[in-house]
Amino acid sequence: MAESTRNTPPRAYRRFSPVQRFEHMVLLVSFTGLALTGLPQRYADQSWAQTLIALMGGIESIRIVHRILATILMAEAIFHGGVISYKLFVLGQRATMLPGIRDLRDAIHWVLFNLGLRREHPRLPRYNFGEKAEYLAVVWGTVIMIITGYMLWNPISTASILPGEVIPAARAAHSAEALLAVLSIVVWHMYNVHIRRFNRSMFTGKLSREAMEEEHAEELEAIERGETAPEHPPEVIARRKRLFWPYAIIMTTILVGGLILFITAEQTAITLTTLPRREAAFTTDIDPAIGRAEVGAALWQDLDCHSCHGLDAAGGDSPIGVSIVDRNLEFELFIRAVRRGPAEMPAYSTARASDQDIADLWAWFTSLGTIESASLPAVSGS
Amino acid sequence: MTWRARSALFSIAAGVALCAAGFLLMLATPVTTAQADQPVEAAGDDSACLVCHTEDTPQQMTFADGSQISIAVDHAALLASVHGHSQPDGPLGCSSCHGEGIFPHDNPPAASIREYRVTQSNICIDCHEDQSGNLGDGVHYTALLMGNLRSATCVDCHGAHDVQGPERSAVDIAQTCGSCHQIVYDEFSQSVHGKALLAGDPNVPTCIDCHGVHGIQHPTTALFRNRSPQLCAGCHADEQLMAQYGITTNVFNSYLSDFHGTTVALFEQIAPDVASNKAVCYDCHGVHNIAPSDDNKSQVVRENLLATCQQCHPDATADFPDAWVGHFPPTFDSHPLLFVVDSFYTVLIPVVLSAFIFLVLTDIIRRVRRRISGSDKA
Repeated sequence: MAESTRNTPPRAYRRFSPVQRFEHMVLLVSFTGLALTGLPQRYADQSWAQTLIALMGGIESIRIVHRILATILMAEAIFHGGVISYKLFVLGQRATMLPGIRDLRDAIHWVLFNLGLRREHPRLPRYNFGEKAEYLAVVWGTVIMIITGYMLWNPISTASILPGEVIPAARAAHSAEALLAVLSIVVWHMYNVHIRRFNRSMFTGKLSREAMEEEHAEELEAIERGETAPEHPPEVIARRKRLFWPYAIIMTTILVGGLILFITAEQTAITLTTLPRREAAFTTDIDPAIGRAEVGAALWQDLDCHSCHGLDAAGGDSPIGVSIVDRNLEFELFIRAVRRGPAEMPAYSTARASDQDIADLWAWFTSLGTIESASLPAVSGS
Repeated sequence: MTWRARSALFSIAAGVALCAAGFLLMLATPVTTAQADQPVEAAGDDSACLVCHTEDTPQQMTFADGSQISIAVDHAALLASVHGHSQPDGPLGCSSCHGEGIFPHDNPPAASIREYRVTQSNICIDCHEDQSGNLGDGVHYTALLMGNLRSATCVDCHGAHDVQGPERSAVDIAQTCGSCHQIVYDEFSQSVHGKALLAGDPNVPTCIDCHGVHGIQHPTTALFRNRSPQLCAGCHADEQLMAQYGITTNVFNSYLSDFHGTTVALFEQIAPDVASNKAVCYDCHGVHNIAPSDDNKSQVVRENLLATCQQCHPDATADFPDAWVGHFPPTFDSHPLLFVVDSFYTVLIPVVLSAFIFLVLTDIIRRVRRRISGSDKA
């Protein structure tokens, strides 16, 4: 194959534009980061995963990082959609990444050649079957990850539309698809562009002639024949641009809006605050003047307050029922304590103790005044 | 009657007894001396004290705050207690705990009876160092140190003169805790554990099985929360134990593989002192009020599950609880979609990878063959 049809063929060929290289870098960083923060979650019961999670700052931190990277990847997906649309619909380029029957034939040909069953290497196009398979895998994987990721990020919105069972199924798919993607990258991508030949074209933009001969012989031939992509007349391009930009702006607005909705719809899975407790609404705006001390005195026992806090509200026999009357308690704090039930005290909803009841109890406390002698527990001798 | 007046009366009454007591003390002294090298001073003869501290004396001691305590001592109970005849060196004497009583006694030794009890309990630690070792970590001792005299001290749980060994029935233990924690006890006694306990089931947990004994941790700490699933798993992942009740032991593993359990387990592993807001067993099943999962009072029975989820997910709608797979392995019948997804990837991952590996291998084969034939040519 060492034919030299030209006297001085160039040593390297331009393969990737700066935009493509930029997109690849974004994908490289986000994919690696997502794998590093995601896979340990799949294997959280393994010690290596726990070590990794600890090194990265704990599970809640990596979940945040994972979501930031996911947002970057989704933004890149939107950007890529725009770039592809521009190339196809404005510049009128051919969809060289689209796989077809030809790629299956190339793959079989290549395998037969590798096994020594065919003499000549297949002459591969600009994007060969291996690259197309990988591109297809990235598109498929990203779509799956975005859909299932949405469900995991927003389980309540999801379950309000779809059956709840979708969420664990999404979790299984997200986790398994991630493993598939990472293993595919490790086996296929690593081998093809790092082990078999260290292919720097994604960083330098250029591919060596030798690599072109083996991996893109058909494209190389076309370049050397002087064939270039068909150029469209400038007025055609200009007309297409006028159509494209409004469409692009509308689509981008919709997609970016969707992305913002995606990441802000709910915070169920990333709430870092302490356990949110269901708490019935209550008001602290009660007028203490409506309280009736004599009613409060009866309520004290009717509501079973005395069981813990003692008959005279000065504290019960047990350590849990504190004294109410010698604490310099404020009315608002008292209301909160009744409604929320601090420590071991049960919360009293408005169904159990009305606002009027609270005012009545308060009036009774006030009538008792500060009872110093009763502030010590009445423990009988034994 | 004021303390001073009572004290005077006391002196007269005691004076008569003093002669006899002094005589008895003389008798007792050689015994004490003979055992002076013993670690626990078995004071043999308490008869001097028992002159006044009879079983049925109506005498009361009054503290500065007005609280009173009977000075009567049930000596028979003392002798029957762990500090009595069962001691290898004979029963402990009064002075072992109360010190050498010089008569007449000082004014009341504390401001209140409660303060007296709490202070007196420090003496227990002198001998019972092992038991008090983790006392400092416990909520009760901490509360005492912070000045809450109502917190439990040794004698509140173990008794004083009638102290018994730690081999107490589970019911007795629950009732002892319940003497202060009545609300918890009432709730517990209606729960699946409590009912079985009161019915005499020896396997169900009583208070100390979950909370510990002397070093009781505050159950609202992050540490307690993060470790609680393992606490429940201690029994609920025990095949033999659960077989007796027909309860699945898959509860723990299925919890760990769920989002909540995975997260809590990681907190427990990496940062046990940091609070996780993901649900642990008791957030769904309840704490002291745990009911059987098929009981209509249970928080996890289907009718109540949405309300249980809404404790943390207030916006959850009717279908949301189905997101929880449950404690049984998913099957096609129970979770068709999950089952299909799992099966799909179980096939897809090996197929795709085998294909990639096959392609890579053929390429390697060619390169190796070319190298061999190339070197052959050379």
